[in-house]
Amino acid sequence: MFARLANGNIAPTRTIEGQATHLSRTMHGLAYDDVNDEIIVPVALGGALLVFRGDARGETPPIRVIQGTNTRLVRPQTVAVDPVNNEILTADPSMRAVVVFDRRANGNVRPKRVISGEKTGLLDIVGVAVDPVRDVIVASSRKGADGPTGLFIFNRLANGDAPPKAFIGGPNSKLAHFRQVAIDPTTGNIFLAQQNTEMKRPEAYVLDKLREDFTERDDEGDGGSLDRMGFVAVYGPDDHGDIPPRAIIKGPGIRFAGAAGVALNPKKGEIIAVGGNGFQTFLVPDFFRAFVKF
Amino acid sequence: MRRISLLSVAAGVLLLFGTGRSAPEASAPDPAVAAAFADSTMAGALAGSPARQPRWGALAEDCYADAVALAALQGAPLGGVAAGDWPPGAIGGLIPPIRSVSDPFPTFDGMAVDSENDRVIFSDENRHSMLVYDRAAGSFSNDPTEPVQWVVGPKTRLGYIAGVEVDPKRKEFYTVNNDSGDLLTVFGYGDHGNVEPKRTLVTPHQSWDVSLAATRDEIAISVQQSNAISIYRRAATGRAAPLRTIRGLATELEDPHGVYFDETHDEIITANHGNWTQIRPYTAYDQRATDVGEYKSGAFHPSSITFHAADANGNVPPLRAIEGEATGLNWPMGIDVDLQHDEIAVANYGDNSIRFFRRGGRGGQQPLRVIRGAATEIVGPVSVAIDVKNDELWVANYGAHTAVVFARAANGNVKPKRIVRNAPAHAPTCGFTNASAAAYDSKRDAILVPN
Repeated sequence: MFARLANGNIAPTRTIEGQATHLSRTMHGLAYDDVNDEIIVPVALGGALLVFRGDARGETPPIRVIQGTNTRLVRPQTVAVDPVNNEILTADPSMRAVVVFDRRANGNVRPKRVISGEKTGLLDIVGVAVDPVRDVIVASSRKGADGPTGLFIFNRLANGDAPPKAFIGGPNSKLAHFRQVAIDPTTGNIFLAQQNTEMKRPEAYVLDKLREDFTERDDEGDGGSLDRMGFVAVYGPDDHGDIPPRAIIKGPGIRFAGAAGVALNPKKGEIIAVGGNGFQTFLVPDFFRAFVKF
Repeated sequence: MRRISLLSVAAGVLLLFGTGRSAPEASAPDPAVAAAFADSTMAGALAGSPARQPRWGALAEDCYADAVALAALQGAPLGGVAAGDWPPGAIGGLIPPIRSVSDPFPTFDGMAVDSENDRVIFSDENRHSMLVYDRAAGSFSNDPTEPVQWVVGPKTRLGYIAGVEVDPKRKEFYTVNNDSGDLLTVFGYGDHGNVEPKRTLVTPHQSWDVSLAATRDEIAISVQQSNAISIYRRAATGRAAPLRTIRGLATELEDPHGVYFDETHDEIITANHGNWTQIRPYTAYDQRATDVGEYKSGAFHPSSITFHAADANGNVPPLRAIEGEATGLNWPMGIDVDLQHDEIAVANYGDNSIRFFRRGGRGGQQPLRVIRGAATEIVGPVSVAIDVKNDELWVANYGAHTAVVFARAANGNVKPKRIVRNAPAHAPTCGFTNASAAAYDSKRDAILVPN
């Protein structure tokens, strides 16, 4: 944890770490519940969701753990919280699903809803956000070179193999190698962190076997290249189709690793973009105003 | 000896990202900043190398960590989305941050000591580089310690690297990308700057450590996400398949990190964090799996040290394991084995300690001794190396910009013999390793970042 005004090379003011925390790597999402003062973290390598008190520090155990056979979780990578409807949402690319639990769930519990199936279009789901005002769930999901890759917008109560009510993606959107998504609850504006304008390269192995079509030069990692730099993109709540963003942060300000994560401070008009080994804060109050409908 | 100034490199990076301009103006090269950067980075550092000078220009341009920012400062075309007016009609654009948090210095991660050739090699996860020091390096100076080699730049193909291994006979060192490029890279003792590896081997995603079995001519690689140890031929390159893989529930490999191939006792020793979950095809290139087999839910178990037969293959149980509350194991990272004194040393990140166990031990044994306490200056240890020849113990700190050297038999809250610094004393570190998400805590006016 860092003070909002942290700047430069600075150590965190507080950390949660150690065996008792159950944290591990591949935490590609994080949610803060300001109503209940709780932090929610997905733990991919433990197939679990952890809930910590907002003021937790050091080697502190989570106050709740969602894990077990009833959860069906495999490797949840990202998370969102809906304090209005008392729900925690996670996206699990290994399940090819968005999974919804009761916010107070603890232990080996069944999900309330699971959005998954061919009609959903979801595959490598790397971001999820919820808008309790407009009753929608937004998931960012990627599919190889032939898509669909983009933002999938579902009714909040969607369940099973439900098609999205809207989709933002396609060549004009330039959406490719993105991750975390966030929503400003006041305007419904959707914010997406994109690391790279080229699709993430295939990994070398599938389980413990080499991918048949993998070539070594394919795997150049996530390091930025001048002509492939990512961005932070913003869309309106009613946007749909193969469209460019309404607002954007691009260029060297988001550094070489692009933006993998995005967090919002609407009150101050600030966006925090995380990528690689650092984060940057941008002052963009205009991004928190309602866009004119197309 | 080459003179490589870590301080000057870091100064340049801080200048680049700490300008504090307000938004939403388009960023433009600042001549003063550009000049300061040019004066302060690796230019001077590498110019001292007769064999390499004047390599600075090419090195700086190629160094991907700073390529984007450097290009902006020099007014170079950005290309792609950043270059044009896309997206049409959008607000925003090329916006500089008002605040930027990052660590401009290297951070020590993996480590290997070569007492035959008097070198110590570190992986640097933060700057994606390999730093090589003289084995006798270190002091109590507050200044950064000068490495004798620094392998850094896009040609190196170093990503978020972790474990390091050394081959004194062939004068080579190895590292594995834990993220951003599934590769093992091998460099020679003469390599310096932005150089291509001598050879590369495609490895599974989330590989963490590598250990050499010189007589068998094999290497063992730990893989976090598939809870596996894969064994390859030492000189394997490209798409070579592993000779065998230890993987499956019976193996008790759970989020494996440090690995040591003990040829003397024909064992593979692994440090495990205790996290376990199934792995299924999950990437954007894998189809929606219809037959994923029996579902096994995730689990959190205690940390452990497992011992497998060197020839183990498949879902085979360990010969024995050190595990339990008495061990004090807490996020064990790198390990090393002292075959002469029959001890295992473990970098115990979770409680800032180095723990020693009997190599032949099993179950919930207490450590033989523990180096821990404020005097030790051990902060977030990620790797440990025993130098029997010189009767020393090396510890690489991730939580501080240091490696600390002790007497091999050190015990308790003892001061190190000397310190190797990759930044000035008291320089903080953010502690990031490819952070990919954030949240804003409105109650505490704080930014939360999982790492």
